[in-house]
Amino acid sequence: MALNLDRRLFLSLAGAGVGAAALTACGGPATGSDTAATPAADVDFAGVTPAASFDFWSTHPGKSQDVEKSLIEKFQAKHPDIKVNLVTAGANYEEIAQKFQTAQAANSGLPALVVLSDVWWFRYYLNESIIPLDSLITKLDVQLGDFRTSLVDDYKYDGKQWALPYGRSTPLFYYNKDHFAAAGLPDRAPATWQEFAGWAPKLKAATGAQYAFMHPALAGYAGWTLQNNLWGQGGAWSNEWTMTCDSPESVAALQAAQDSVYKDAWAGVSSKESADDFSAGLASATLSSTGSLIGVLKSAPFPVGVGFLPGGPKATTEVCPTGGAGLGIPSGVTKEEQLAAAMFLQFITEPENTAAFSAATGYMPTRKSADMSAVLATTPQIKTAMDQLAVTRVQDHARVFIPGADQEMAKAAAKILTQEADVQATMTELKATLEGIYEMDVKPRLKA
Amino acid sequence: MNHVPRKRRRSARNRRDFFVFLALALPNLALIAVFTYLPLINNVYYSTLNWTLGSASATVVGLQNYVTFFTSPDATKVLGTTAVFTLATVGGSMVLGLLVALALNTGARGTTFARSAVFAPYVLSGVGVGLVWLFIFDPGYGVLSWLLRGLGQQSPQWINDPQLSLAMVIIVYVWKNLGYCAVVFLAGLQSLPTDVLEAAALDGATPFRRFVSVSLPLLSPTTFFLLITTMLSSLQAFDLIRIMTPLGTGTSTLIYESYLQAFGAFNRAGYSAAISVVLFAILLVITVVQLRFVERKVHYS
Repeated sequence: MALNLDRRLFLSLAGAGVGAAALTACGGPATGSDTAATPAADVDFAGVTPAASFDFWSTHPGKSQDVEKSLIEKFQAKHPDIKVNLVTAGANYEEIAQKFQTAQAANSGLPALVVLSDVWWFRYYLNESIIPLDSLITKLDVQLGDFRTSLVDDYKYDGKQWALPYGRSTPLFYYNKDHFAAAGLPDRAPATWQEFAGWAPKLKAATGAQYAFMHPALAGYAGWTLQNNLWGQGGAWSNEWTMTCDSPESVAALQAAQDSVYKDAWAGVSSKESADDFSAGLASATLSSTGSLIGVLKSAPFPVGVGFLPGGPKATTEVCPTGGAGLGIPSGVTKEEQLAAAMFLQFITEPENTAAFSAATGYMPTRKSADMSAVLATTPQIKTAMDQLAVTRVQDHARVFIPGADQEMAKAAAKILTQEADVQATMTELKATLEGIYEMDVKPRLKA
Repeated sequence: MNHVPRKRRRSARNRRDFFVFLALALPNLALIAVFTYLPLINNVYYSTLNWTLGSASATVVGLQNYVTFFTSPDATKVLGTTAVFTLATVGGSMVLGLLVALALNTGARGTTFARSAVFAPYVLSGVGVGLVWLFIFDPGYGVLSWLLRGLGQQSPQWINDPQLSLAMVIIVYVWKNLGYCAVVFLAGLQSLPTDVLEAAALDGATPFRRFVSVSLPLLSPTTFFLLITTMLSSLQAFDLIRIMTPLGTGTSTLIYESYLQAFGAFNRAGYSAAISVVLFAILLVITVVQLRFVERKVHYS
């Protein structure tokens, strides 16, 4: 019996240990009294020579592995002394963030250049996992002024530049031109969601598609694209650090979204990727990232139209958020590696290279002087995405600066759009959750 | 006088046995110490820290993480989800496993093939199983939605709706694990003493009565063994949840919540460690309770 007990206890202890082991594998932190971020000193790169090789962690946004490889080859031809190791460090922004944070905790195996999404870079800043790029920008003479202002300004905080834009996108309104023609609708995106609500019954009647519109999959998109619905109604997730997701305007916006699924029943909610649902003909229209554009154009067996995001009763322009990924340089690697990574970062964001990246994926060219004529000749739809960049709006603090907020928003949206939960109650609860995270994880770490 | 040498001989043999024991057990013990007990102890220490994963520094906060967990709505939600998931998966795979075992035990044609077929999902990778079932459940173009549309029904939102997500993962988990229960139950059924069953049959007991009054009590060691192993593995279920519901929407069991808190969006390593300790305590209590109370009621013959 005693042996039995030991063996079984042993078994259960071993079981419980599994969860713990994952954490412990990372090695522990130093305990001190101060967790607030200390002012990051600019790194001095005088007299530093670039490393012979460094790791570049990417998710290959927009299926960009091939174009990334060819850009690396071009770079290595120009700088034969520097080898870039392209590492697939995750299938999406969450996975690469997880891997990066784990490597950070283990303090080993860190890359010198990493893809970071709009909702992650600020956390790296708070954790001091990335360095400010200002001294490298000066040393290498990176033409910051030629970057599209709204894209490069997203990574400015505390007077410093923390990353440069890479696979940057906006949502885009995609529609099936055949369906629109069959329903006798104009060949354009609707100006407002109210206009589309008038079109939707005609689309459903004329096409036999399951839905007139497919809401983007909640897990990856809700926090991002619902800003469009909120802003059009005069609402927002937050105004700076004040949560406004339960304001009458915000509630009205999400109520309209709920009605599209339940009361008026012309919209569905995608489970994985609405661009795929749209290409498969399940819905006549959807919102998805510009990064899906090339993929949709390749796979959809019908003519695809794209347009600006629709507005709402309170705002018809500046209702589109930007998003996507930038590139940052981790603090935990040598100066030599950081310099080599910065040289590659400078190279890959040069006008002709950002144009090549854009052509392969549909992401925005990040430079004003990028020559897009060849790209636009083959894929004129990218022009719409580029034009929309002029009318984008900076994302709400709540989504991009509060850790995990994006996922809390997705959960709230799931309640509203798939369980028909009461909108006001769900938003009041979300507000409390977001404020809780802010108090626990952000406020203590912000500099006064 | 010859008492002493004999004692010395025995103690020498004991010592030799002891060294053999050490030689055989030490490597294993060392591995378990390094990969199970050391992390366990470290984890308890981490649970007293306010530590953001990825940050090089942390502050000691004592029991604050536990207080936060138990006073937040998370605790009820996570413990509730864990209870539902564990009861449904353990109950589901054991009951269905027993039914399948009874069917297989009839020895009808094709049972050898059926036995392999039922057991196969258990040895498949959870990641592959999760991905395939996600396609099946997809409300847009999954096989299930196609079947439902054939019956004039809209597919439910298996993936987006938190409650249905939990149901979906439970269904797949039971499907994957009932083969294990079935095979173990089958082995138990086949080793039942036939004389008792024959005696009951001669006394005129119906097949159902024979099963309830004879087979089932005699199966209790098997049932007990399965109860412990399935409950422990159910409380540690990870791969299916990770693949089918990456955000843990509706499926945040203790172990998954612990993972999400540290490696998901929040990077709260200390808080996550505290949840791990709670899970550990629950596993410990369950095991001790099962050994103390349930095992006494088990008939070994």
